Amino acid sequence: MSGKEKSKENPIAGFFAGIGAFFKEFGAALANGDMAVKASLLVAGAGYFRRKQIVKGILVTLFEIAVILYMALIGFPYIAQLGSLGTVQRQMVYNPATMKNEVNDYDNSLLILLFGIISLCGLVVSLLLLIGNVRNAYRIQRLAETGRHVNTFKEDCNAMLNDKFHFTLLALPVLGVIVFNIMPLIVMICIAFTNYDSNHMPPATLFTWTGLANFKSLFETSITATFGYTFRKILVWTLIWAFLATATTYFGGIILALLINSKLTKMKKLWRTLFVAAISVPQFVTLLLLRNFFANTGIANTFCSSIGLTGFLQDVGLISTNYIPFLTDPTWAKITIIVINIWVGVPYLMLIATGVLMNIPEELKESAKIDGANPFQIFRKITMPYMFFITGPYLVTQFTANINNFNVIYLLTQDVYTTTNQKMSASFGKEIDLLVTWLYRLTSEQYNYKMASVIGICVFVVCAVFTLLAFNFLIKGDKEETFR
Amino acid sequence: MSKKKVISSVLIHVVLTLLAIIWITPIIWLIVTSFSGYDGMNTSRFFPETWSISNYTRILFHPDTVSQFPKWFMNTFIIAIFTCLISTSFVLMVSYAMSCMRFKGRKALMNLAVMLQLFPGFLSMIAIYFILKAVNLTNSHIGMILVYSGGAGLGYLVAKGFFDTIPTSLREAAYLEGASEARTFFTIVLPLSKPIIVYTVISSFLTPWTDFVFAKIILNSGISTDWTVAIGLYNMLQRQLLPSYFSRFCAGGVLIGIPIGILFVIMQKFYVEGITGGSVKG
Repeated sequence: MSGKEKSKENPIAGFFAGIGAFFKEFGAALANGDMAVKASLLVAGAGYFRRKQIVKGILVTLFEIAVILYMALIGFPYIAQLGSLGTVQRQMVYNPATMKNEVNDYDNSLLILLFGIISLCGLVVSLLLLIGNVRNAYRIQRLAETGRHVNTFKEDCNAMLNDKFHFTLLALPVLGVIVFNIMPLIVMICIAFTNYDSNHMPPATLFTWTGLANFKSLFETSITATFGYTFRKILVWTLIWAFLATATTYFGGIILALLINSKLTKMKKLWRTLFVAAISVPQFVTLLLLRNFFANTGIANTFCSSIGLTGFLQDVGLISTNYIPFLTDPTWAKITIIVINIWVGVPYLMLIATGVLMNIPEELKESAKIDGANPFQIFRKITMPYMFFITGPYLVTQFTANINNFNVIYLLTQDVYTTTNQKMSASFGKEIDLLVTWLYRLTSEQYNYKMASVIGICVFVVCAVFTLLAFNFLIKGDKEETFR
Repeated sequence: MSKKKVISSVLIHVVLTLLAIIWITPIIWLIVTSFSGYDGMNTSRFFPETWSISNYTRILFHPDTVSQFPKWFMNTFIIAIFTCLISTSFVLMVSYAMSCMRFKGRKALMNLAVMLQLFPGFLSMIAIYFILKAVNLTNSHIGMILVYSGGAGLGYLVAKGFFDTIPTSLREAAYLEGASEARTFFTIVLPLSKPIIVYTVISSFLTPWTDFVFAKIILNSGISTDWTVAIGLYNMLQRQLLPSYFSRFCAGGVLIGIPIGILFVIMQKFYVEGITGGSVKG
């Protein structure tokens, strides 16, 4: 047990050990390096010039100059304002020279936050690069001192295609992820700690840091502040939805796959194609279509009233309108959405389950049969455990994907569903909203970026907690050999 | 015994037929409505009263302020081609590095990738919108291409799972022959990876056709000629437009549904292999 825990901690321990080694080597470089190595701290290429790596030295120095120029001209002014997010409000000022009212030289809080954060990250990365550069210069010094070969520029380039090929491969993709995932995330997380909303919209007005105020208002409910109430309701529905949506499509898919792949079924390929045809049309087309299919005056209602189902439901007292409110009543809408999601999701799971079912070793089933197991026992004791084993990780990602399942909810209910719950509509939520659709509505309709960011962080926390729990309890590593 | 088999066989086919009818009904409705002679939604009948192909001729050859289908199609096509090129190269590059090479920080990078994917997509989308706006790339093809392909490297897991199945001995033989890592990548690993390349190419090509959330945020000018197919068709179903555009929406849906459907059917084979194969190796 203890050995297992040790191996679990290893990546983190290894990470910190790596950082420690990095700075230790830097210390050694400063202490034992020659003048050129020490000079690398100021002129980045110095160490390389000393060892006749002229091209590399020039490139590194040019890069350093570019960074310094950027920081001095653009970076530092923004970083300096990060603390206050700007102080000069935009207003019209009378300019005596042109005798007109002109816009003053105002601060834009959003640009300050955006470029301030980007510059700050750039600064940290540049400093780390500089330290790494000094370390490299020291390594080359040691190579030269011990009489070993120092690479020429051409050899360095070749190394980038050889044992350092991962640098070449990862450079652009990682840059893309930094610019399009990490930076925006940091900025949005920062916005959760500001008062950026429709009353504080740059460029007209400034916004500023407010600490944890937004998080407090998310968990508080009073007569004026209903965010706490709405958040609780939507969070509960999000979790119920994610659980039901994942479970129904998963088991539905397996059952469908078993039916199609049964030995008694003829024309397996035809059946599979029919179900795949349903999901091969883009989701936004089918979902928008179904939204109109199930509209209050839609064709589904015409059908239900002509076969007398609507009248029956009225008699039983399940509906009070003369149509079935498939997508306009909270309870009906939730049921309809889950049913439609089964329609959307089951064919995917059927495909996956088919793939897995074909891989179940026949001997397992055969020996179970010889031992006298009936088909249901085989399903429960062999098929299902095998499915769980193979699709476990997929199931976890599917659950988090359902927490973030924007398409189904938004396309089915936008412009159709209106809430009658006063408390919810006061904070712009609806009963059928998931956290993500609420987030989207807050930004695109209310410009309430601060609360949207707080909700986004909550979604992350929910997903992260669930994923960690699932991987620790549901999918244990020690099962790996079970089915081999 | 055999009588029992016959009964259960009949039962299975009856159940499958019922299910298939449920699953195929919306698709049939889409197709028959697209040939309807009536502009709006027919709420009283499943099959249209009058049949016509005018929805197709109008959506293809007579664009108006609302419907700009040929233009949308071109926009989406251009965006899809470039997204596909960039995303596929990013995914293959990252997968090769993570699967076939061993270097410091590999595990750390993989953990970071898992963590980043737990954040909801739009959270960063809002900030991306402001960044693109600051450099004047909103409402442009370049902006959309960057949005779709910039973070593509994160979706490397399926392809990595595939690369993991390529025997190490093949690469080692190449190193012994004196091939560089880059040469091994291009001449040994890539030619063996056709299935996963097809999967990556198709899935990244399909993204711009099926996504409408990000497109809606970035292409917000309100000028219909700027849009992609997804937002254009979505816009047709606004409450005021629905009575005159519903059957044209269906025609548009069929028009893009056919090529996308074909690509999807080709892709789904590899999709299953990716999910079931990748998870075993972890």
